[in-house]
Amino acid sequence: MTQLLQLFANPLVYLLVALIAILTFIALNGLILVYVERKVAGFIQRRPGPFEVGPHGLLQPLADALKLVGKQLVVPRDADRILFWAAPLLSFAPVAVCLLPIPFGPHLVGLNVNLGVLLVLAFSGLNVLALCLAGWGSNNKYALLGAARAVAQSVAYEIPLLLSVLCVAFTSGSLNFAEITASQTHGLLSWNVFTQPVAFLIFFVSALAETNRAPFDLPEAESELTAGFHTEYSGMGFGLFFLAEYSYMIVVCAVASVLFLGGWSGPFLSGHWWMLGKIYALILAMMWFRWTYPRVRFDQLLNLCWKWLIPLSLINLMATALIINLVR
Amino acid sequence: MDLHSMIHPAYGLYLALIVGGGVVAVFARSLVRALSGLIVTLFGVAGMYLLMAAPFLAFMQILIYVGAVTVLIFFAIMLTRSSDGESGTEGGRIGRGFLAIWAAVFSTLVLAAVVVRHMPNAIPLKPEVSMGRLGEFLTGPFALSFELISAVLFVAMAGAVLLGFERRIAK
Repeated sequence: MTQLLQLFANPLVYLLVALIAILTFIALNGLILVYVERKVAGFIQRRPGPFEVGPHGLLQPLADALKLVGKQLVVPRDADRILFWAAPLLSFAPVAVCLLPIPFGPHLVGLNVNLGVLLVLAFSGLNVLALCLAGWGSNNKYALLGAARAVAQSVAYEIPLLLSVLCVAFTSGSLNFAEITASQTHGLLSWNVFTQPVAFLIFFVSALAETNRAPFDLPEAESELTAGFHTEYSGMGFGLFFLAEYSYMIVVCAVASVLFLGGWSGPFLSGHWWMLGKIYALILAMMWFRWTYPRVRFDQLLNLCWKWLIPLSLINLMATALIINLVR
Repeated sequence: MDLHSMIHPAYGLYLALIVGGGVVAVFARSLVRALSGLIVTLFGVAGMYLLMAAPFLAFMQILIYVGAVTVLIFFAIMLTRSSDGESGTEGGRIGRGFLAIWAAVFSTLVLAAVVVRHMPNAIPLKPEVSMGRLGEFLTGPFALSFELISAVLFVAMAGAVLLGFERRIAK
């Protein structure tokens, strides 16, 4: 037993165990979210949603996953084979790194680094690149249009996202997720959502755009672009993109709960239950938005970012800096 | 096996990433493949920063260069590409190859001579500089260079906007 504990104290082994745990969490989460999303969509549209496979359709995601794994992988003619298959891998791989520095409980963290926030922001930016490669490698005009939209959208929305994160970094004076959480453990009113409400709104809207969720799902836009950047992907190529989208939802919601909603802090229950509860509450809100709002037009999308979110986040940042200087 | 025993394999891995990515970037026929090579190289450089105990630089490298600059290059390729996405210059291959080999050998020889003649001592690795200290340095002793870089970036941005406006009026 002590030998096992010693082995676990080795940082490399610890990291490996954390990565495996995170990948398991991601896979389970993918299954759950597919079911939840279809049920939520069903309830909002006053229909039962999946109902046939298993009690209340509970086994539907398993059937879906098996179907995806069993499908043939097709590469379109004249497509760039290497880039075509590199894209879904590149889309999915950074997710595990993004979840490493996030504290799911007081001691439940994969990798406690001082620049955790920066690590997550850096690696989540790789998703755009994957979408570009997918769109270009497919040799398909719908895919290419989707990739072009993804670039314009992500580059634009990264700016307000970073600026709103910077506001939180200013107030808590750290880029370490554990320290940011610790600064919000003094009761409900110490949560950053109350000291930085504008930053929270900007962060959440930008995060919706960065994860390509409706109403900002223009790179996919199934009614205009067939399926956008993943038009040509079949089987698990599509499955990986799908899993990556749900995993990025987890990542942005986890970051939002740590930065603005106090992370694992909360009364009565242990930390990880609070953290999971906050993450899934935010994800349900994201699904609610998806089935409530129509998709925005492309000019509306960019106008919202450049004319409203970026100036607003700059003003918010300056006001934060001014107040911090006055208080100190 | 602890973290310190991983330094040499990690160094080798990052070096392989840098060199391999560079080779792909130079020899790839398609521009987008060359760009992927560049991305791999940038990742290797980020890893080198990590080894030098500068994680801030490493993450910034990934955030800015991999996440933003290469995406902009990709956008430029997509908007300007020819029908097959390749830009090859034909003719004079043998002469070019000879010149390329000569350039590589010459620069390698010069660098090797300098390194052998003036072997640098290994520098002890400094501990990680905290973000606060970094900020103090950038706004204190290095404030002028910091501001100069901002001015250069601002001029570039203003120039881009100006060019965009002129083209719109010309239409």
